[in-house]
Amino acid sequence: MKDLLRIVVSPVVWLASFSAVYALHGLVCQLDPGAPGLPGVSGSRITLIVAFVLAVLVQTGLLVLLSSSRFGADPGFTRSVSLMSGWVGLVATVWTLFPTLVTSPCGW
Amino acid sequence: MNALARHRRLTAIWSSEPGWKGWLSTVNHSDVGRMFIVTAAFYFLVGGLLAMLIRAQLATPHSAFAGPEIYSQIFTMHGTIMMFLFAIPMIEGLAIYLLPKMLGARDLAYPRLTAYGYWCYFFGGAMLLISLVFGIAPDGGWFMYPPLTGRIHSPGINTDFWLIGITFVEISAICAAVEFTVSILKYRAPGMTLGKMPVFAWYMLVVSLMILTGFPPLILGSILLELERAFGMPFFQVELGGDSLLWQHLFWLFGHPEVYIIFLPAAGMVSTILPVMASTTLLGYRWVVAAAVALAILSFGLWVHHMFTTGIPHMGLAFFSAASTLVAVPTAIQVFAWIGTMWKGTPRLRLPMLHILGFFVTFVIGGLTGVMVAVVPFDWQVHDTAFATAHLHYVLFGGFVFPVLAGIYYWLPLVTGNRRFFRLGEVAFALIFTGFHVTFLAMHWVGLMGQRRRISTYAPEDGWTVINLISSIGGFVLAFGLAVVLIEVVLNLVVRHPAPRNPWNSGTLEWAIPRPSAAYNFASLPRVSSREPLWDEPGLPARLARGEGYLGEAASGRRETLMVDSATGEPEQLVIYPANTRLPIALAAVTGLFFVSLLVKVYLITPIAIAAVAALGWRWAWQLGSKQDLGDRLIGHGVAVPTIAEVSRPPGWWGSMFLLVANATLFGSLLFGYAFLWTIAPGWPPPAFIAPSLPTLLAAAGGAVLAVAGLAIAGRSNQNGGTPVPGLWMAVAGALGLVAVFSMMLWAAPPATGHAYNATILVLGAYGLVHAALTSLMLIFLLARHRAGYMSQRRRGELAIVTVWSVYLFGVTGLVVPAVYLPGLVT
Repeated sequence: MKDLLRIVVSPVVWLASFSAVYALHGLVCQLDPGAPGLPGVSGSRITLIVAFVLAVLVQTGLLVLLSSSRFGADPGFTRSVSLMSGWVGLVATVWTLFPTLVTSPCGW
Repeated sequence: MNALARHRRLTAIWSSEPGWKGWLSTVNHSDVGRMFIVTAAFYFLVGGLLAMLIRAQLATPHSAFAGPEIYSQIFTMHGTIMMFLFAIPMIEGLAIYLLPKMLGARDLAYPRLTAYGYWCYFFGGAMLLISLVFGIAPDGGWFMYPPLTGRIHSPGINTDFWLIGITFVEISAICAAVEFTVSILKYRAPGMTLGKMPVFAWYMLVVSLMILTGFPPLILGSILLELERAFGMPFFQVELGGDSLLWQHLFWLFGHPEVYIIFLPAAGMVSTILPVMASTTLLGYRWVVAAAVALAILSFGLWVHHMFTTGIPHMGLAFFSAASTLVAVPTAIQVFAWIGTMWKGTPRLRLPMLHILGFFVTFVIGGLTGVMVAVVPFDWQVHDTAFATAHLHYVLFGGFVFPVLAGIYYWLPLVTGNRRFFRLGEVAFALIFTGFHVTFLAMHWVGLMGQRRRISTYAPEDGWTVINLISSIGGFVLAFGLAVVLIEVVLNLVVRHPAPRNPWNSGTLEWAIPRPSAAYNFASLPRVSSREPLWDEPGLPARLARGEGYLGEAASGRRETLMVDSATGEPEQLVIYPANTRLPIALAAVTGLFFVSLLVKVYLITPIAIAAVAALGWRWAWQLGSKQDLGDRLIGHGVAVPTIAEVSRPPGWWGSMFLLVANATLFGSLLFGYAFLWTIAPGWPPPAFIAPSLPTLLAAAGGAVLAVAGLAIAGRSNQNGGTPVPGLWMAVAGALGLVAVFSMMLWAAPPATGHAYNATILVLGAYGLVHAALTSLMLIFLLARHRAGYMSQRRRGELAIVTVWSVYLFGVTGLVVPAVYLPGLVT
């Protein structure tokens, strides 16, 4: 079962972080979309960008763990597939949460 | 014992009862798989007939063929039948039939559950069919959006048939998903590691996990909508704190993965058949497995792309647009792997290959229009037009029906023992391919010209007449082609024209068994060392028939197979299956009684049905196990393993774990709904929160701890050779305490019709109560089993199973109690 977990962990963590950032987006827009942040950047955008960066860091960490000899699978099928899915998690996180950087957070 | 004597002995052990009684009592996967396939094919005919009625209606403007009320029923039932009564059950049937044969096992993990799933499907499908015959079929579209399907706008019983009938049918899918997951992970031929599994098994493993996590949101949505319709609980009524968008979220949390649940098994068939047709191995097996896993999980992040027109902020749209484009990448990896496989090998243009080529063309077009609708501005233009209908047919017909037809022709010799004689299939393929593309290319076109979905008629001045007529002609050509397939399959069944054992020269294990397949599959179980064991060892079938594999002696006279370690594939446990029984059909019948009582609103019958389900469930579990320690048993080749009664993780433990994954998803969806209403729906916060009380909180904490600690004590005592009874009684006290806590929660809840908050509290409390009552029942069952002599220091598996459920109850209590009482505490 550990091998199966290694294969699915990164995409599942992507799904969790993607859903969490979407929920956070709903929450910050509902509570206070115009919250003050840094000059030129609203508090809601900063919150979402921090969540994005955290999600990327988590995925990077997972990929490092899956590549390590301690936490990664033994060389062979499971190791290859888990590393591929690790990259899927990282790329998916960057690609799908990238809009936090470029689109208006609460605009319609 | 020679091969013939072994065959006769195993056939006597594994066969179903002769005659019609055998249909009712069989639990053999080959029988049940065939029953699923035939029933699903019947529904395909019904759904196809409805499609023809739709095309007849739209062939001309101002058509008087069907009025709008009947037309609404026709298109709703067409979508519902094709999705829920054809596609998913057809996958279930094919996988039930094929998986044990491909994996080198004699049956699936839970044969009685396989049969129960079938009968739930049979009865649930019959409910929907009856509604169609009597003109009271669902008419709110296959995705049943409220407020249209609420009590105000749909006061009849039509919508209730959908909500209750589909939930009943979905039990079947959940059963099958648990069954497949455990079977693929644990019921394989010795030596079959994860990397040596047939690629179809990988796809089905992924799909099964998707069903376990994809179907529960829809089951929850159906429960909530039915509660609103039957009892006025306003989950989707805006004026009372509900939100109709909650339904869309719950539906599409299911609905989008559903597309991949349908496509991925078909892709698994393509990945299996195509290399055989090209006389080579699948190019990039590891990439294909990784792509299937990625596609499955990514598909859960796309649900909002069905809701682009509901008024979502820009960033939300961008998230889901990005995710929708991303999903094309793993799909493309598979397509390139298939193209590379053909390039690497020497493709033979046999009939299955024709359908695979049809799949390529059609599915790639469907995928490309999928990328188009992932782009938000384009989606706004074509949303709810015939373009979207055409896109989904390219994906689903192209991505499912063509591969299934390839699969039917590929595996038909295995099922019937015959090869094709009349050669009608090539003509059928030409008709299907041409008819399909004429129908749905035209539908893209008319959609771009503005024709909406689900309209019953249109005016000549709209300019859609000729295109619709072309589309309808194409539809009838397609139907004719499918009829030819049906005729050929029937002819193949009745015309004796024996096929050789491995007619395609395939390398996978299903071709190592007698054909038509024997009830026991393998006379002895193989040990495999690659993904194509028949290519490595062409003499394997004869060796297995001679009993030279595992379990070749059939000495016990019972149905046996092996469980293996999920990673290494080494034998772990000896499985002894239950024999033929009518328990599954009886349990499905009383389950149906429960659903019918809700449908016709005769609630006096409901508790009787629940009691009957509990009684039969008790009997179901009681038939398992053993009253004596059997010790390790020799399975051949000098290997000895314990029986499933004498391990800490028996099949029931694995099944419980995966069933709880589905259960937890349903619970998580409920919590999501609560949070969604709280943050998004107007009319929140509610007028008053439920007041917490300290004794209730203490009782909840104490009950949850007792339920878990009692079982831990019982387990440790049993492990040390002592009696588990004191610990079990302690756990019973804890679970019953939680029954009291959740009952009080329901008792103290404000009227559920007043506000969505009140209704949500009621559902949360009911969820906790059901689990507390179920765990109590399981604990009392354990006490009875101990008293009857079914438990010992060695026979400890049942204790482990109930522990899993008890820990889950602990978690549920830990989430329900704060969810209900915390808002009242902090405000």
